[in-house]
Amino acid sequence: MPYLGSEEVVKELRRALSNPNVQADRLRYKNYITKVIRYMTQGLDVSALFMDMVKASATVDIVQKKLVYLYMCTYASDKPDLALLAINTLRKDCADPNPMVRGLALRNMCNFRMPGMTEYIEQPIVAGLRDKASYVRRVAVLGCAKMHSLQPNTEIDGTIVNELYALLRDPDPVVVVNCLRALEEILKDEGGVVINKPIAHHLLNRMKDLDSWAQSEVLTFLLRYRPRSDDELFDILSLLDAFLLSSHAHVAVATLRLFLHLASAHPTVQADALLRTSAPLLATCGAASRELRFAGLCHVQQVMRSQPGLFGTHYKRFFCGYSEPSYIKFRKMEILVELVNDENVALVLEELRSYCTDVSPELAQAAIAAIGRIARTYSEKCLDILTGLLGLKQDHITSAVIQTFRDLVWFCPQSTAAVCQTVGACVDSPQDSEGKQALLWLLGEHGDQISSAPYVMEGYIDGLKTELSSAVKMELLTAAVKMFLCRPAETQDMLGRLLHYCIEEESDVCVRDRALLYYRLLQRGVEETRKVVTGPKSDPSMSVLTGRQEEPISEWDSTFNTLGPLAGCDLCPQTAATSAADQPSCRAENELLPESTDVTLSSPDDAEEEISLSLGPPLSHETFEKMWLDLETLHRQTLGFPRPRAAPDTLQAALQLVKIQTLAFTPGDTVPWKAYIYTRSTETLILAELLQGDQQAPGSDESLVVSVKQQPVNQHAIRGFPSRSVVYRVCFSQVNQTNYTFVVF
Amino acid sequence: MIGGLFIYNHKGEVLISRVYRDDIGRNAVDAFRVNVIHARQQVRSPVTNIARTSFFHVKRSNIWLAAVTKQNVNAAMVFEFLYKMCDVMTAYFGKISEENIKNNFVLIYELLDEILDFGYPQNSETGALKTFITQQGIKSQHHTKEEQSQITSQVTGQIGWRREGIKYRRNELFLDVLESVNLLMSPQGQVLSAHVSGRVVMKSYLSGMPECKFGMNDKIVIDKQGKGGTTDDSGKSELGGSGKQSIAIDDCTFHQCVRLSKFDSERSISFIPPDGEYELMRYRTTKDIILPFRVIPLVREVGRTKLEVKVVIKSNFKPSLLAQKIEVRIPTPLNTSGVQVICMKGKAKYKASENAIVWKIKRMAGMKESQISAEIELLPTNDKKKWARPPISMNFEVPFAPSGLKVRYLKVFEPKLNYSDHDVIKWVRYIGRSGIYETRC
Repeated sequence: MPYLGSEEVVKELRRALSNPNVQADRLRYKNYITKVIRYMTQGLDVSALFMDMVKASATVDIVQKKLVYLYMCTYASDKPDLALLAINTLRKDCADPNPMVRGLALRNMCNFRMPGMTEYIEQPIVAGLRDKASYVRRVAVLGCAKMHSLQPNTEIDGTIVNELYALLRDPDPVVVVNCLRALEEILKDEGGVVINKPIAHHLLNRMKDLDSWAQSEVLTFLLRYRPRSDDELFDILSLLDAFLLSSHAHVAVATLRLFLHLASAHPTVQADALLRTSAPLLATCGAASRELRFAGLCHVQQVMRSQPGLFGTHYKRFFCGYSEPSYIKFRKMEILVELVNDENVALVLEELRSYCTDVSPELAQAAIAAIGRIARTYSEKCLDILTGLLGLKQDHITSAVIQTFRDLVWFCPQSTAAVCQTVGACVDSPQDSEGKQALLWLLGEHGDQISSAPYVMEGYIDGLKTELSSAVKMELLTAAVKMFLCRPAETQDMLGRLLHYCIEEESDVCVRDRALLYYRLLQRGVEETRKVVTGPKSDPSMSVLTGRQEEPISEWDSTFNTLGPLAGCDLCPQTAATSAADQPSCRAENELLPESTDVTLSSPDDAEEEISLSLGPPLSHETFEKMWLDLETLHRQTLGFPRPRAAPDTLQAALQLVKIQTLAFTPGDTVPWKAYIYTRSTETLILAELLQGDQQAPGSDESLVVSVKQQPVNQHAIRGFPSRSVVYRVCFSQVNQTNYTFVVF
Repeated sequence: MIGGLFIYNHKGEVLISRVYRDDIGRNAVDAFRVNVIHARQQVRSPVTNIARTSFFHVKRSNIWLAAVTKQNVNAAMVFEFLYKMCDVMTAYFGKISEENIKNNFVLIYELLDEILDFGYPQNSETGALKTFITQQGIKSQHHTKEEQSQITSQVTGQIGWRREGIKYRRNELFLDVLESVNLLMSPQGQVLSAHVSGRVVMKSYLSGMPECKFGMNDKIVIDKQGKGGTTDDSGKSELGGSGKQSIAIDDCTFHQCVRLSKFDSERSISFIPPDGEYELMRYRTTKDIILPFRVIPLVREVGRTKLEVKVVIKSNFKPSLLAQKIEVRIPTPLNTSGVQVICMKGKAKYKASENAIVWKIKRMAGMKESQISAEIELLPTNDKKKWARPPISMNFEVPFAPSGLKVRYLKVFEPKLNYSDHDVIKWVRYIGRSGIYETRC
């Protein structure tokens, strides 16, 4: 914050500081020094006073000394030549009989950020490492790290590293942890501090002497250690057991993370640890301070990814308090949605309903969306509530409800009839563009079931001139064309007007292009248009997929207790401690890749003549089943990799991208795992089954077996189908530590 | 680790800025102000990410404390660290306010220097810090030989939280059971959620290295003893309304000094306490909570321009006890034009700026009830928005523990010095306060 007349201020301060009268009066002198620091805090550049401040450092008053040191550390990099003048005083202080003075001087000397400092500080640091006062040793140990950060590219000094490793046995707990921190920074390029068996055991034994910050950090360092045997592992776990219930949330969570990591081969131990930690986690969610509550909620969400039932009985703890900040309310609602079951659904819905009328429109909309999520399982009750909300006639609520309807119809097609009836009866329409788009989509997609649809749409077409959002216009175009296909008589006239306006008068290029596209399509005839415009409707079998999967703990334990769960995780760099440990799983997947591509290469002829697949109209379950039973298996192949572990809807979306429709998956980790998929090629329908872990099928324990059937038979396409087992790796970069890797055929 | 710590006032002016690491530039101070303090919308999250730098903030009254880091750190730890920082500052100069921070800014810089080094927490126990930084720092040059040796012994001692050679003429200890009771009640009087979060705070002024043993009416312990045939000497409760003998604690956590292994095996709480004030344990209960007050709201809409509100509060504890500082906050719609209030007890006032009727009662005995009725006149509006009816909230303080927790004993043993358990003067106090105590209407 630059001040007006800042030069004046500096000049005045300099005059005062160099005034012998002021210098003689200690109190006044100190007051001026305080003033300098105050200006420095406010962002005023007072570096011009460096000389005067150096003079002030020669004093017996420790407080004054501290202030001057603070000043010098801030500006030393700007005035390196002047800072050298202060070094003599500092070095003298490093030999003071008072350990506090020694520590203070050493700490500040190390804080000077200027080149060439190393030669002055090396000797005092080495002396400090052997000081008899632990206060000085603490400072000296971190001083090593500071010295290294001054010259990051120089060779690492072996003697200092050895000395630091030796100091891990220091009686003072803070010295021990500081050693770990310093070594971690110095050895960063070599992968950080090495935690071998003696060090790990030593640290474990010292755990209870440490303060909570140190405990938390040591637990993170211990993630690097791999016990040799199960006996050792369980010894470590029982040593750490008490820390699962530590009074500090961060220690409890750090311990949990270490448990999950160490016991990755023992799922029962992991589950037990999660169960035991659920109490402290819940306590954190109810903590007095809201920030901690927020952190607690985020971690609960992560735990629920693997153990959805763990907090089921405590659902009331996630009801929102009126005065809580919205970031907490959002999280709580997300958790409530996950916790719904047959017993509590009524209460949870009642609770969510009361949030729908919240003063904050964002919160209200989130609550409505939450009800929409629950509606995928308990449609009837939720639809009642949502319909009731429309009656409130408030813009933001109406809009959110319509958007929720759209999502609901897509995910849960059996509710279409009820939704259409409600939408048809709803008189007032949403005002914001998101809501308009949702309504138009519903009208276009299910226009045949909403009797008033053409009239509502006509209203939009008439008001087109005042519409600002081009997204709404595009949606309107698509909806009008779809509606024309199912109710031509009522729509023809208005579609004509719409196309005319969009082509002739519209200034937005995208809208105009879309309109032209539809116009030319319609010129080719209705049937052609229908083929293009009516994409796949949502598949009723999708409802099978909506149930939340229980993810394996390994999916998230690497980000647990970092910034990851608290959103914004994509921006923060990965912790060094976990990076090494997390890599193998991805690498293992990478190693598998060549194998599967080999399959492609073995039939190079086919690869050249790329067969074209298309989605076509969806098959019903019955037809699929009938065909599957009738047809002979034409091809069976063992693929060299296990089943994809992504969430079903992601998988389904990815398959659709490569033009393969999904009929059904078996949920979760059930064995055998099966999936039925189908696709169309030139005049032939291809059906396939993916299978893993079936006792009868040989070779299916570890990897997937694919069986293919076809009608009518077309050998070329069949050979092409599995050989298309091109490997698509979809890495979801929004969660940067988690690499979902999966394979699509 | 923490790269820097900043303190701002409500306008976003920097009061304190301390940078610990090179990767945090001086512009970080401004980045937080512009993006968070001066941001137009509400605070989205207590963690803000700006240009690969994470800002963790905590607000105390109208002061913002922000910790900055470039590393992927343990968020809970940073927040707890900021709270600890607030505690330390409070211990030194009282309430955290702009004025106090400005007056003590030298002291705060000193503290920041000791608490963190290179961004790593070093020493955050107030008791231990006081040996390094004396109040206001003015006297710190006259360190006596004795104090110097104390520093060395304190930091090399086996027990990090207590220094050796403490002597008091009068061995005394104070136990405060501080509870905050939280409630969310439906208009029909159904408890939607209720829990008590409590703390046992101990002030110990004991000589030497005393070994303490703390006992309370924990259900698990009592049941165990009941089986053993010993009679429970804690007797009938003299506090609270119900006469229950033991309570079920959902979860509890302890100060570092408590031997957790012993707690796990025999459920006994034994420890060597730090000197001075500290928090011995934190716990939470959800079962059989004594709700000190019941709020019964009645809201009637008379036409479009009038509301009639009647609220009855009933105290539900022993008649001999007195609740204090009772405050009931009844929210009113935004378009309120005038309010007439009649209350039997205390004072009630309509506060237009807060959109609420605030009803204050200084004292109220147990098993009593009191009532307020108000007529709220509304301005006719064409705003179709329905009034969201925020809940009626309540504040109070009662001299018992709503969870039912009772201290049964606290025994002190110091074998090396010649004072026994009987010589120690012990004080116990129970305070139950309202946390978020809301009734929907």
